Amino acid sequence: MRLKVNGQEVEVQEGTLLLEITDPPHLCYHPHTETRGLCRLCLVEVNGRLLPACATQAQEGMEVRTDTEDLRTLRKTLLEWLALFTDLSLAPGLQGLLEAYGAHPGRWGRVPETRKEREPIRDNPFFLRDYAKCINCRRCVDACGEGIMGVWALTLEGRGLLAHPTTPLDRPLPETPCVFCGNCIQVCPTGALRPLSMEV
Amino acid sequence: MRTTCPYCGVGCQVEPEIQGGRILRVLAPDIPPNHGALCVKGRFGLDFPFSGKRLLYPMVREDRRQAFRRVSWDEALDYTASQLLAVLKRRGPEAIAIFPSAKTTNEEVYLTQKLARALLSTNHVDHCSRLCHSSSTVALSRSLGGASMTNPIEDIWKTDLFLVVGSNTTETHPVIGAMIKKRVRQGAGLIVVDPRYTGMAEAATLWLRVRPGTDLFLLNAMARHILEEGLWDQGYVEERTEGFAEWRASLEPYTLEEAERITSVEKEKIALAARLYATTKRAGAYWAMGVTQHTKGTATAQALVNLALLTGKVGKEGAGLNPLRGQNNVQGAGDMGALPDVFPGYLKVSDQAARKRFEALWGVELNPEPGLRMTEVFEGIPKVEAIYLIGEDPVTSEPYQDHLKAKLKALPFLVVQDILENETTPFAHVVLPAASFLEKDGTFTNTDRRVQRIRKLLDPPGEARPDWWIVQELGKRLARALGRPWALYPGPEAIWEEVRRAIPEMMGGITYRRLEGEGVRWPCPHEDHPGEAVLFRERFNTPSGKARFFPVHFTPPAETPSEEYPFTLSTGRVLFHWHGGTLSRNSQLKEAYPELKVEVNPKDAQRLGIGDGEVIQVVSRRGRIQARAWVTERTPEGVVYAPFHFAEAPANRLTLNALDPFSRIPEYKVSAVRLEKLD
Ligand code: SF4
Ligand code: SF4
Ligand code: SF4
Ligand code: FES
Repeated sequence: MRLKVNGQEVEVQEGTLLLEITDPPHLCYHPHTETRGLCRLCLVEVNGRLLPACATQAQEGMEVRTDTEDLRTLRKTLLEWLALFTDLSLAPGLQGLLEAYGAHPGRWGRVPETRKEREPIRDNPFFLRDYAKCINCRRCVDACGEGIMGVWALTLEGRGLLAHPTTPLDRPLPETPCVFCGNCIQVCPTGALRPLSMEV
Repeated sequence: MRTTCPYCGVGCQVEPEIQGGRILRVLAPDIPPNHGALCVKGRFGLDFPFSGKRLLYPMVREDRRQAFRRVSWDEALDYTASQLLAVLKRRGPEAIAIFPSAKTTNEEVYLTQKLARALLSTNHVDHCSRLCHSSSTVALSRSLGGASMTNPIEDIWKTDLFLVVGSNTTETHPVIGAMIKKRVRQGAGLIVVDPRYTGMAEAATLWLRVRPGTDLFLLNAMARHILEEGLWDQGYVEERTEGFAEWRASLEPYTLEEAERITSVEKEKIALAARLYATTKRAGAYWAMGVTQHTKGTATAQALVNLALLTGKVGKEGAGLNPLRGQNNVQGAGDMGALPDVFPGYLKVSDQAARKRFEALWGVELNPEPGLRMTEVFEGIPKVEAIYLIGEDPVTSEPYQDHLKAKLKALPFLVVQDILENETTPFAHVVLPAASFLEKDGTFTNTDRRVQRIRKLLDPPGEARPDWWIVQELGKRLARALGRPWALYPGPEAIWEEVRRAIPEMMGGITYRRLEGEGVRWPCPHEDHPGEAVLFRERFNTPSGKARFFPVHFTPPAETPSEEYPFTLSTGRVLFHWHGGTLSRNSQLKEAYPELKVEVNPKDAQRLGIGDGEVIQVVSRRGRIQARAWVTERTPEGVVYAPFHFAEAPANRLTLNALDPFSRIPEYKVSAVRLEKLD
């Protein structure tokens, strides 16, 4: 089928995600997990509407625009909020995006209580969970549960700004069915989950 | 840079990031077989090459009462060669055995068995799969003419029913275990036959908790029931198999009632399992040590083969017979001829045409007598006078440890070539330090026949050298003294090129260049061939092209519980460790599982007054070990389970060396023990 991306005709197979043929910034989508449509960073304009490219399949005749002024402003704002609430120091990709979109988190002033204040959790010999750096993409939760391992040692707890992935009832990982496969680490985009071997 | 995990037969692709002499982290690329997923061993257990226990320099001693002397490579190799030559001269090739390792590369195994056969004229060549899947190998080879997984790992996604027998898949092949579990979440059925409540049993749609060592009876009863209900694949049996009538008659005693009595699984459950397996078109059988490590290991593997043939499951997508191979390169070690009766490519040593092929290639005359198997070699001491061990630790892995130690003490000459000091090193005369998987190039072949690259990411520490280099140098010395030809190779790729020439029907199309991307599965006869995924689609690899049924009968385990030893001991692995523990216990993994825990059923524990976490003694007729009791429903009443990774509390001090008559595998899974409280 054929569609237009930024004015250019493209030919694609049925079932193709817009993310596979366009290149907007994206964060929550991962091919091994079912996570998508959460971070809104990959929004593109489709026939005038804003849709997440990671959760939208290409359709005949679509007119897709990936880089309008509106989209740039939206992404800039989203990135600023991310940076306000989250410690992005171990996510070089995101830092690059902040720069590319001219994001200035400072213009929003100081934010009272955020997850940035959370202390890293060291409860096992292999990796730490540093939720100050977590952007709630849920990739880890899915990798541990449905997506790959099927052990559900991670889940989402809390609400609103403080919602975050952790173990059920916040139990230490060794007391959960965790098998320390580290697949959650592999899919984590921000370094919130990282091996102890990376600590100096 | 991408390489292959050195632990299990899944053969996951890994990308270790190394910085300042340590591993920073390990990621996995998005290619087969693991597509980005890993288990704890591949993710956190790859740092053993940095262990303080690395063997760094060649060492020699003429006599076990002396201390080892550090020597130069030249001296170590000259000495080894002269000792081997002396034994050869005095006692002939029958007195020398060489064990290449299923942890070394294909290239290294090939070169090692070539050294044994072409220079020392001995066929006493074997490796550790003697202790794991030799039973499967015998059963599959004689029935199908080939002994590997018939189906690729990806077929898991096409399988509608898994029959998993005696495999603790989530702990021993974790990435495959996770895939099977995911497929079950998508709706596939999972029948698990296991005495223990493993992760697989937990995920099962139907769990048959057999009494240890009785699965053969259960499998035969399933077959009999399928026949009775008329659910077998008549067309398939007629067209593609032979020996059916005789086998069918042999099933007479295996009624459901009798099966319930022997296995303690309700007959309705057995009938249901039979019906499901027979009527699901894409039903795949998977198995591991629970099937093979018995005195009737071959018979039990055979019962599975018979069952699959009866229901027409072999040669089809999403089905098949799939023994899960243990070591990272156990498939490759067999393919490369690390077996006493076959050359590379499973060509029989006793077959003249096969011999001619290798005589022409290597330019020497070859010994037509199949050699001794590993377990027989150790029994053969002191008639066997010299053993050259590569990457093996028999003191930990062989059964009945005290007996084995006595044998090793009586052995006149032992060479240990390894990366880390282990329990066998103290028995050696020569110690040769080898390079680890991070420090050399080559290929491993995983459980589904995929040949994959390993890549040199580091220089070996001290004076350690890759196994191929050591073997090549030793060969050079032997060849010179014997006046025989011995080719020299600039590196592993050149050795692989010879493998391609040696067995083109199997490996001809697999080049290092092709392996830059993903691995390629054998058989792959030429470079345009994609590699075969499903084996035996049209015909079996037997002379008639048909698969063969073999009648097999149930016998009780060699040792049954008695008044004095009322428990059945079963041995195996845990997720965090690997075999003798030499690798995993010298890595980050040791912290997660520091000491031996023996599983005891709560009812037994209560009766004996054993508390969870209490230190107890496990005693068999052959010895005793100390362990911490883990009181858990995982193990059934009357059964205790002990992992064998702990040198200081070796489960194999307790096991007996009763052997399967065909594969000579020891019966690790059943021995009689009692539990004693301390003081
Ligand atoms: S390491 Fe533990 S928490 Fe992370 S995916 Fe594996 S099982 Fe889940
Ligand atoms: S820990 Fe990482 S993977 Fe999990 S939700 Fe947070 S950012 Fe995403
Ligand atoms: S499943 Fe096997 S090959 Fe894969 S990471 Fe684990 S030990 Fe390594
Ligand atoms: S990547 Fe599409 S919404 Fe997050």
